[in-house]
Amino acid sequence: MLTLVAALFYSCSEKGEKVYSGKSFVLTDMNKKSITYPDITKGKITVVGYIFTNCPDICPLTTNNMRLLKEKFPRRDYPEIEFVSISFDPKVDTPEVLKKFAEVRDLDLNGWTFLTGEPAIISDLMHEAGIISIPGDSTVTPAGEKIIFYIHTDRISVIDRDGILVENFPGSSLDIDKAYREIIRIY
Amino acid sequence: MNLLFIILSMFLQHSGITIENPWIRNSSTGTNTAFFFTVNNTGKEADTLYAAYGDFAEVTEVHETYKKGEDMMGMREVPIVVIPPGSKVVFKPRDLHVMLIKLTSDVEKGMEKEVILKFRKAGEIKIKAPVKGMEAMMMKHK
Repeated sequence: MLTLVAALFYSCSEKGEKVYSGKSFVLTDMNKKSITYPDITKGKITVVGYIFTNCPDICPLTTNNMRLLKEKFPRRDYPEIEFVSISFDPKVDTPEVLKKFAEVRDLDLNGWTFLTGEPAIISDLMHEAGIISIPGDSTVTPAGEKIIFYIHTDRISVIDRDGILVENFPGSSLDIDKAYREIIRIY
Repeated sequence: MNLLFIILSMFLQHSGITIENPWIRNSSTGTNTAFFFTVNNTGKEADTLYAAYGDFAEVTEVHETYKKGEDMMGMREVPIVVIPPGSKVVFKPRDLHVMLIKLTSDVEKGMEKEVILKFRKAGEIKIKAPVKGMEAMMMKHK
């Protein structure tokens, strides 16, 4: 029920519409560098996934699908594609956590940026992108730390050079070939 | 001698549980990861997985991933998983898994980690599971 109510209040870009309503968001990347998104991808095709690092199953799969898709586009041949992973759990996902998340998975970060930011800004960004994340089950560690597992939109989006949504894909079960064809079509 | 045979028979019946294809997804200290495997019950009775333990995580729970609505995914704890006799239950990505919460050390590709699965009848089964990277996510599980 909560999910349904939340969905009603969220915008969700349709294909052919601007994903972020022309807004910019000042965020922080995994190297603690201030980044204005989506300005950093201006004039480029963006493949963006939405994750939280406490997620043990869906988000690693989404990240792996981003990796597999990225491998199909060698940077030297396709310099105008940017991969972006944005956390919707910024209180946990500090730049350090995101950097470690990428490092342990040996991700090629040339052309792939992990972003986090102030919770209010992230919330605004997720709202614009139509990404829902609702606290679901949780666990309390022996030290008393509460770890929240979100029920969340499972998505990787392909956005064109003008910030227009090309396609939303299910992130954890991405059809790599279909996403590849969509990107080639607009490259 | 007969008594020994009966006891052995009971033990074998209750030991119809074997664990196949275990692996743990790589992850880093302080985060969470998942342990995947197949439980094969060749016994004549159902058995129940009710807990798990890994000494490299602060908390270990049995979880399942589930779909909510059109395009949302969630995860929740499952208190027990019943393994019917003569069947296999697969713990795999986007499905059942053992959740290793708040890792106390990095779990890196190439390592081997011990996880204990606790069954009502088979008791505690210690598994040494290899840690695998992204490529393992593409493996097909029967």
